[in-house]
Amino acid sequence: MSAVAPPALGGAVYDRGYRPYEGARGGRSAGRWALWRLTLRRALGLRRSWRQKVLPWTLLGLVTIPAAVDLGVRYATRNTPLSEIGYEFLTFRDYVGVSTTLLLFVAVSAPDVICPDRHDRVLPLIFSRPLTGDDYVLAKVGGIFTLVFGFSFFPQVLLYIGQMLVNEDGSLTYVGDHLDVLWQVPVSVAILALYYSVVSVAVASLTDRRIVGGLAFLGVLFIPAIIAGAIVEATNEGEGTIFGVFNLLNLPLMLRDVVFEGQIDVDRDSGLSGVAGAGWAALLLYVAIVGTGVFVLHRRYREARL
Amino acid sequence: MTVVPPAAAIPPPPLGPTASLLRTTALSHTYPDGTTAITDLAIEVPRGSVGLVGANGAGKTTLFRLMLGQMFPTRGTIEVVGLPVADDPVGIRSRLGYMPEHDCLPNDQSAADLVATFGELAGLPAQAARQRASDVLDLVGLDEARFRPVGGFSTGMRQRAKLAQALVADPELVLLDEPTAGLDPVGREEMLDLVGRLADFGISVLFATHLLDDVQRVCDHVVMIDAGRLVVAGPIEALVERTGVLRVEVGGRADGIEALVSALAERSVAAVAVDAHIVDVDISGHGDEVLDVVRDLVADLGLRLYALSSRHHSLDELFVEAAQRP
Repeated sequence: MSAVAPPALGGAVYDRGYRPYEGARGGRSAGRWALWRLTLRRALGLRRSWRQKVLPWTLLGLVTIPAAVDLGVRYATRNTPLSEIGYEFLTFRDYVGVSTTLLLFVAVSAPDVICPDRHDRVLPLIFSRPLTGDDYVLAKVGGIFTLVFGFSFFPQVLLYIGQMLVNEDGSLTYVGDHLDVLWQVPVSVAILALYYSVVSVAVASLTDRRIVGGLAFLGVLFIPAIIAGAIVEATNEGEGTIFGVFNLLNLPLMLRDVVFEGQIDVDRDSGLSGVAGAGWAALLLYVAIVGTGVFVLHRRYREARL
Repeated sequence: MTVVPPAAAIPPPPLGPTASLLRTTALSHTYPDGTTAITDLAIEVPRGSVGLVGANGAGKTTLFRLMLGQMFPTRGTIEVVGLPVADDPVGIRSRLGYMPEHDCLPNDQSAADLVATFGELAGLPAQAARQRASDVLDLVGLDEARFRPVGGFSTGMRQRAKLAQALVADPELVLLDEPTAGLDPVGREEMLDLVGRLADFGISVLFATHLLDDVQRVCDHVVMIDAGRLVVAGPIEALVERTGVLRVEVGGRADGIEALVSALAERSVAAVAVDAHIVDVDISGHGDEVLDVVRDLVADLGLRLYALSSRHHSLDELFVEAAQRP
């Protein structure tokens, strides 16, 4: 009787070795989009611990509350004529930049997406990829811009659709009466988002500490606003002064008023009443500030250091 | 249990028009503050594992920055993987991986997120980047720690994570800046093992370090620079062969060593007495016949030959000697 060889054991160790990547590769634009997505994720606390989600989502939730309340009131009183409701609904113009929570969100998120890269010395790794300093700036500013725009625009859309649906004269009538809003809202929201995103990211790029970046951003807006307010107060009542335009906190809202109403100082509280060329001055100052921010960012990241 | 090898040999990734990994001609770089980091560097390095050796401030990091297209040379040209960097200083980076010396990882990201992110930044689609991240973390031995925040990693794990992000986009060449810095002996061994395997995967390595032992262990070629100037470059095996020393131990006459040194000098063979019984004979530039010459001279002088051993220079000695040459 011959010996029978035992069957081979079933287990096998597969040495997969190293598998080269043979799939598609994008170029600079793919890297830029990836950095933009990373900025969005980071600002919203996605793929991070719950602690890092609380603040941005709370602030962004608060931005939407006025629209939701307005909509609820309008729905509850849908059978009552507007004039008899006794409740002052927010206008689309009011809603642009009405909430300071958006400002706080920017003050928290812009430093959070910029400062750690410098603090943790991640920039050399980022710039070892096919990305330039300008790509980096574009992605970071673009990320904050997208969030500010999105969270300013979304409540407006909610407000528009809600009011359209409960309009007593019918939805189509509402749309016909509010066609201007369809361009005014996105343009004015874009003006606000560009201002907040460029200024906040530029200020945050000058430090590697998040808290300093956030406070410095608020300081850049509030300190001139306080000084400009004091100058406006000091002038004779009823007479405007061009210094009112240096209220940097309200600067994008002045341009919003130009977009919505064709004039600045709609509420007569900016101290610019009757000042000739105030609209142009506001526009020039806006361009100068955004331009300065872009210049600072370009200089700050012009050379990627190892 | 059987071990199944990879199904097919991994084809080397396509290189540029020439097979050179790095080629520089009269490369010089001076910083705006006047500091000259690299002077007239002319080297051609083939693909494979190459050690870039020099003391701190020798110009290693500057050379890396020039290779990555992050700076432009003041003079001269530089080609990486056969492509002139000046032609596409940003695009060249998609062919390279880079592992800096310093700590550079965001502490609040998991290793998987971190590596996938850098894959995406290199142009990989998001899903592919996550798959590659998983593969390379497995390769560097961080598969079980992939979902832990990098901030909690040990130095060795952080070095591995840095290596993983350099490999995630499957580069043709990885630039490793002091990859064993700060590692304990075990960690250093593991890192060297990993680096040594990269050439087998078709990934060329430029390994900057000041530890010549590390280079000798994992590299085929070496480029030594000092104060921005080329000291010596070439295949390690050839360099240490060519600069070999024959150690001869003799006994017998009290003045035997002096007599042997003089007799060797008459035959144009340099020798240095180490002590009363040992002499080091410089056999560089000589063939094997020099061994016969030594043997015959020892016999002619009436000395007893105790030992005759070939001794090659270490890279350290080679570096010191070459750097001291005018």
